[in-house]
Amino acid sequence: MIPVDSPAQQAEQRATPLDDFRPRSRARAAKNALATATFAATVVVLAVPLALVLWSVVERGAHVALERFPAFFTHEIPIVSRRSGPGMGPAILGTLLVTGGATLISVPLGILGAVYLNEYGSASRFARLVRFMAMVMTGVPSIVMGLFVYMVWTIRFGFSAFGGALALACLMLPVVIGSTEQMLKLVPETLREAAYALGATKSRVVVSVVLRAALPGTVSGSLLAVARAAGETAPLLFAVGASSSYNSDFLQGANTALPMQIFGNATSVFVGAQDRAWGAALTLVLLAFLVTLAARLFTARFATSGSR
Amino acid sequence: MNESLLFFGALAALAIFLSCDKKQDSTSGAVQNKAAESTLLTGGKVTLNGSGSSFQTPFQQAAIEAFQQSHPNITLNYAGGGSGRGRQQLADEVVDFAGTDAAYHAEDLAKVKGGTILYFPLLLGPITISYNLQGVPGLRLSPDTIAKIFQREIKKWNGPAIVADNPGVKLPATDIVVARRADGSGTTENFSNYLVAAAPGTWKLKSGATIEWPHDTMAGPGNGGVAQIVKSTSGAVGYVDLSDAKAAGLTFAAVKNSTGAYVQPTAESASVAGDGIEVQPNLVFSAINASGAASYPITYQTWVIVYAKQTDPTKGAAIKGYLKYLLTDGQKLLPGLDYAPLPQGLDGKALAQLDEIQR
Amino acid sequence: MTILDERPRRANEAFRWLSVGSATIVLLLLGLIAVVMTAGAVPVFRHMGLQFFVSRRWSVAGDVYGALPFMWGTLYTSIIALAISVPVSLGVALFITQVAAPWMKRPLVYLVDLLAVVPSVVFGLWGILMVAPYLGRSFLTTGLILAMMITPIITSLSREVIETTPSSEMEAAYALGATRWEMICGSIWPHSKGGLVGAVMLGLGRAMGETIAAALTIGSAIGQITLDPLKPGNSMPAVIANQWGEAYDLQKSALVALAVVLFGITVLVNLIATAIVQRSITRTRGK
Repeated sequence: MIPVDSPAQQAEQRATPLDDFRPRSRARAAKNALATATFAATVVVLAVPLALVLWSVVERGAHVALERFPAFFTHEIPIVSRRSGPGMGPAILGTLLVTGGATLISVPLGILGAVYLNEYGSASRFARLVRFMAMVMTGVPSIVMGLFVYMVWTIRFGFSAFGGALALACLMLPVVIGSTEQMLKLVPETLREAAYALGATKSRVVVSVVLRAALPGTVSGSLLAVARAAGETAPLLFAVGASSSYNSDFLQGANTALPMQIFGNATSVFVGAQDRAWGAALTLVLLAFLVTLAARLFTARFATSGSR
Repeated sequence: MNESLLFFGALAALAIFLSCDKKQDSTSGAVQNKAAESTLLTGGKVTLNGSGSSFQTPFQQAAIEAFQQSHPNITLNYAGGGSGRGRQQLADEVVDFAGTDAAYHAEDLAKVKGGTILYFPLLLGPITISYNLQGVPGLRLSPDTIAKIFQREIKKWNGPAIVADNPGVKLPATDIVVARRADGSGTTENFSNYLVAAAPGTWKLKSGATIEWPHDTMAGPGNGGVAQIVKSTSGAVGYVDLSDAKAAGLTFAAVKNSTGAYVQPTAESASVAGDGIEVQPNLVFSAINASGAASYPITYQTWVIVYAKQTDPTKGAAIKGYLKYLLTDGQKLLPGLDYAPLPQGLDGKALAQLDEIQR
Repeated sequence: MTILDERPRRANEAFRWLSVGSATIVLLLLGLIAVVMTAGAVPVFRHMGLQFFVSRRWSVAGDVYGALPFMWGTLYTSIIALAISVPVSLGVALFITQVAAPWMKRPLVYLVDLLAVVPSVVFGLWGILMVAPYLGRSFLTTGLILAMMITPIITSLSREVIETTPSSEMEAAYALGATRWEMICGSIWPHSKGGLVGAVMLGLGRAMGETIAAALTIGSAIGQITLDPLKPGNSMPAVIANQWGEAYDLQKSALVALAVVLFGITVLVNLIATAIVQRSITRTRGK
């Protein structure tokens, strides 16, 4: 409710000239100022912990990440965990394998699924069901995915980077479908009609016209899903196993990844292991940051019809 | 209509896939080198995966590092995770070998999938009662006091039982924070076995790899996780193996043994405890609450467990080679890690048991 | 003429089947997850019955499994997280949309996004090594870390909802001489409160499902049901992550049952929240 000034305040207003629009009573002005100050304070409250976290990651991680550069990124993880010193190479490779594999599985599937939902199915019952289920899947906790992949894959085929990629793909798929469908919706109908008018088949229209128009937004949405997947730990715990040496075999053999190394070393009492965790955290944050930045650049440079 | 058809077709395919049985043996080594026993050093690459006891993790790590240098074609991964995990993963044939500080319980033996399990003892070591208390460098604790602390019957460091064990020491009124294991732990099992044996009237929580701890106790994964809680929390107390406690710079208490003497946890006092153990034919034994005036009462032991029947000859040869190393040259690594070596005769019996591994 | 027609038509059909197949996989996957998880949970329900939901004990040796302390831990840490995060998120959203000068908006949005980019395991690492020495491994520490993780979600959704307030209503308030705060109370709040509730619920869903940060900072206590935020506790996802590796059959089933309960609750919360947010946004955009 807009407060109405009291008779005394109204009298005060009549007595003063009306050529500025400042609020009249001091109480209301004070409340307003307090509110504004509170909002500004919340921004600070948000920024301070973020700064603290980033500062810790950089301060504690940079030391081991830069020690005998580029040892941290190429050397194997020290087998004796109480030893200090760099080496997270296998974890970096593992993250690339697992995240890359998940992307290769989920992005094409997700794009095709979104194509179905927007171009073929639209309002059919099946499409509505799929859309609903995809939305449900975005809310599945990552630990549930991890258990699922263990019960369906790991006990049959053992630990592998592929198992981890499967688990992450399950997490990424609904996100890719959702964001791609949004992008497809934004492509103007006139574009499609023009293509049909030129005699193209539906698949031609979708691939050459619609997808191309929606490409920047789709890429951006997928990159954001990749950035989130790169940082996931729980799905990998039961699918990937543990290894301190390089394993480039995607399909077989235990592997490791940056989030798993951070999780494992976070509970270690040895400073060397903790430092490696910070270094891995620094690497992971940089990786996620770069991927997100790439996603934003895509949206900014190539966005045509409709932004957010 | 088309969509539903596809859906059910895919469902049928999935059902067939899921009814497929567990994984077959699949290693790159097996494919390349089936007849490869004698080519342990020069044969194709072999990877052995192990998990389990965090007590033996420092030893495993040092041994793997040394062994891989002389056998570059063999890769070993030891993941730790607690004796419970090791036993479970070996039972499920998820790993090739496991570390455990306690034998399989009868009810879990039925779940072992691959036949007979062989126990290869490796070393002995003390469980320290590590604590974080400023200005109190030399704490002494009797079994009943330890039981009461970990049961949360004593909640402050200047509780009467602790004062009674430490005459003349100024103890602060700090709250005690109990740190224990979150995972299924052989260290927990041996520690609780000790309390059952040494403080039978006081200790109520029985024994096992996991026990029903009181509500407000903090838990960490592995010996290292408990050590981390103790190190970073003022007033904390926890049970940590000596190797990890010393490497982490923790302070630990002298514990009263069965003869009434307060003994510091060291490799020597653990060795004394190992002198009088009774070893079963399958090389299972317990060093807990051993007799002897100089023996540390909470000394325990650990094994590597493997299946007697190895399905993959190359892996079987690699396992034999690694175990042989652990029992011979590997034992030289023990003093540097604050472990006590196996008592005389036991390593000989373990080496002889190697022949029981068939491939 | 017919040959020229064949190739594009086959490609057309193939593409269509490909896209249908992908959509089917989504359904299959979710169905499979539901079936596999529920089947895995059956043994412990047969063993414990409804006691599973009310028992406080969790004993592997005694074959007793009770989910109550873990459900409490999940609930309590989420409430603490919301209590910290909701005021901050709303304040930031209002600042960005109402107070900030135009040149400030983009950097502020990036600031919030930066918080979202940091992976949860890094928050957990920071929590256990930098926060826990002071606040202990407790409900409070976990709630704090969770708050940091859900703030970006609530903030960006709230921003979206607030921005759907018709400018006519906002300008009308100003025209009547309202201060900014009065305008927010009078125009924005009545219009947005539904959507804001939805945004908060989505944050709640995320907080409840968070595994790794909770596993590191909550203390892994057993049977802890208390209002004291400084005591160690446990939560459903954390106990699953910590105990899965060594669990045999009945314990495994109990952990799967916890996952099923968690799955059910978070999906329910997310569905309600999404429905509320969608309704609030489309109502005014008139789509």
